[in-house]
Amino acid sequence: MPVYERGYRRWERSGNRPTPAWWAMARRGITSHLKKRGFLLLLAAAWVPAVVKGGFIYFSDVTRLLGTSWSDVTPAGFLEFLVWQSPFVLIVTAVVGSGLITRDREENGLALYFSRPLTLRDYIAGKAAIIIFFHWAVTLFPLVVLSLFGYAVTHEATGSDLLVWIPLRGLLFCSLSAISMALVLLALSAMGRRTVFVALWWILLVAGSETIAEIMGQFRPWLKIVDFAEQYLNAGAPLFGVARLDGVSPLSSLALVIGYTLLAVLILRRRIRPVEVA
Amino acid sequence: MSDGTGGIFMHAQRVSKWFGEVIAVNDCTLTIGPGVTGLLGLNGAGKTTLFKLMAGLITPSQGEILVSGQHLRRDVGVFRRVGFCPESDALFDWLTGREFLSLMLRLMGYDGPEVARRCERSLELVRMSDAATKRIGAYSKGMRQKIKMAQALAHDPDIIFLDEPLNGMDPVSRHEIIDLVGRLGAEGRAVVVSSHILPEIETMTRSIALIHRGKLLAEGDITEIRDTIHDQPTIVALTGPDPRGLASFLAGRELVKGVEIDDLDRVVARTDHAIDFYRALPGWLLQNGLQVDEFETLDDSLQAVFDYLVGS
Repeated sequence: MPVYERGYRRWERSGNRPTPAWWAMARRGITSHLKKRGFLLLLAAAWVPAVVKGGFIYFSDVTRLLGTSWSDVTPAGFLEFLVWQSPFVLIVTAVVGSGLITRDREENGLALYFSRPLTLRDYIAGKAAIIIFFHWAVTLFPLVVLSLFGYAVTHEATGSDLLVWIPLRGLLFCSLSAISMALVLLALSAMGRRTVFVALWWILLVAGSETIAEIMGQFRPWLKIVDFAEQYLNAGAPLFGVARLDGVSPLSSLALVIGYTLLAVLILRRRIRPVEVA
Repeated sequence: MSDGTGGIFMHAQRVSKWFGEVIAVNDCTLTIGPGVTGLLGLNGAGKTTLFKLMAGLITPSQGEILVSGQHLRRDVGVFRRVGFCPESDALFDWLTGREFLSLMLRLMGYDGPEVARRCERSLELVRMSDAATKRIGAYSKGMRQKIKMAQALAHDPDIIFLDEPLNGMDPVSRHEIIDLVGRLGAEGRAVVVSSHILPEIETMTRSIALIHRGKLLAEGDITEIRDTIHDQPTIVALTGPDPRGLASFLAGRELVKGVEIDDLDRVVARTDHAIDFYRALPGWLLQNGLQVDEFETLDDSLQAVFDYLVGS
């Protein structure tokens, strides 16, 4: 029997608290995207509406005469801003999220993740956090900046509205929609074999369902319930004190959003395994 | 060794794994202690499934696997004591080598300067420091193997699973990795190396576990396993100044089944009990004034043992 001499150190926690695994994954995913010049240009483009709205707010004495909602600093005006951001949300999430799980499955990378102290929940949270961050980057962050800017340059709304309530409404709305959309996109990513096809499916789900809803809504207004992205806006509209869809109550939309989310979680639980077994 | 498990790092107890109606691993009981163990088997023997079961990547249909006395999948914290180098090219091509290692270390719970320190050390260990800032997508097959090794070792695990670690490596890198595996085993870690290329395993260890058609056929030192194969006598060649005298002496021994002199004037003896034969040989030579200059076992190579057990 050979005599062994332990010449190495066992794992010991470094620092006061180790980095949570999901955060390590999220941070790497976020910084990887932020290093890409093309992606930064896309993010910059997504901020153009915010800059324009900021200009309208700044010159609101003049722009109000144009009768547009761009200079509106009421909750309804900010929900309108989030509606303008929808195309950017679609593109940014498609770019960021389509390959998140597909690529891991394609390259058998799941084995690398799951041979570490990482649970399925950590893995999904880490991946979802990347999508949520960039969703916020084109929705919540500009909304908060605009709200604070509105407080600084206008006297139309009360300070507590622009400083507290609108950012909080935005946070709640953007968080719920970002979490749910992230899980749905991850579920698509977990089902796909190629990133490009997942991106196409995602665009088809969001933009395609909107087109179908437009046509079907001509016959019966409640048929607009098939519009995937509109359900998020309709469910969140009461937070901003407005109603969006005729014939579809916000509660119905909320139930549908919860349904999408639960279905996505179910798919993720079934599709993500440390090892692909044929 | 004071790990509380008596030097046993991994124990698989009557483990089976089915995929639908196909049984990939059938009732395997296996213990892995410190040192290097080779997991051998033909393609499709169940080697990869057993490997993934041991590494905690899939759960057994029946039986249990304990690593350092704990279930890997029930307590994922135990993965901090495990290093896994997969066979597949499971790498993130868009990251540099250093970024990849840094991510893998952060997932292990390290942070700050400790990540940087361990990154550098593991890069040095596999001699990849020069390529650390290159994207993994630009790495050669051998470099990809090395960076996979580095991530398996960076957190100083007790038990290391290396699946076909020498695949695609050039001779120099191969030599470096074989040397590294030997050092890891000598440090007291349990290193399990899976391969279907027998000479590769033989350069790393004499301790093997052999799996065939899902069943564990043999486990232990190659010579000891060889000695238990009674239907295939061990062949020992002895060289000395008086081959005929030596042959006639050996022919009368109970442990010796047959003797002949080959073309090289060596005495070739066959025995069913090689270990007893080796123990008795010095006494016989001394008592009878016989001289042997050198001897060698002709068929206790891994290839021979494998062929006898599996059938060539």
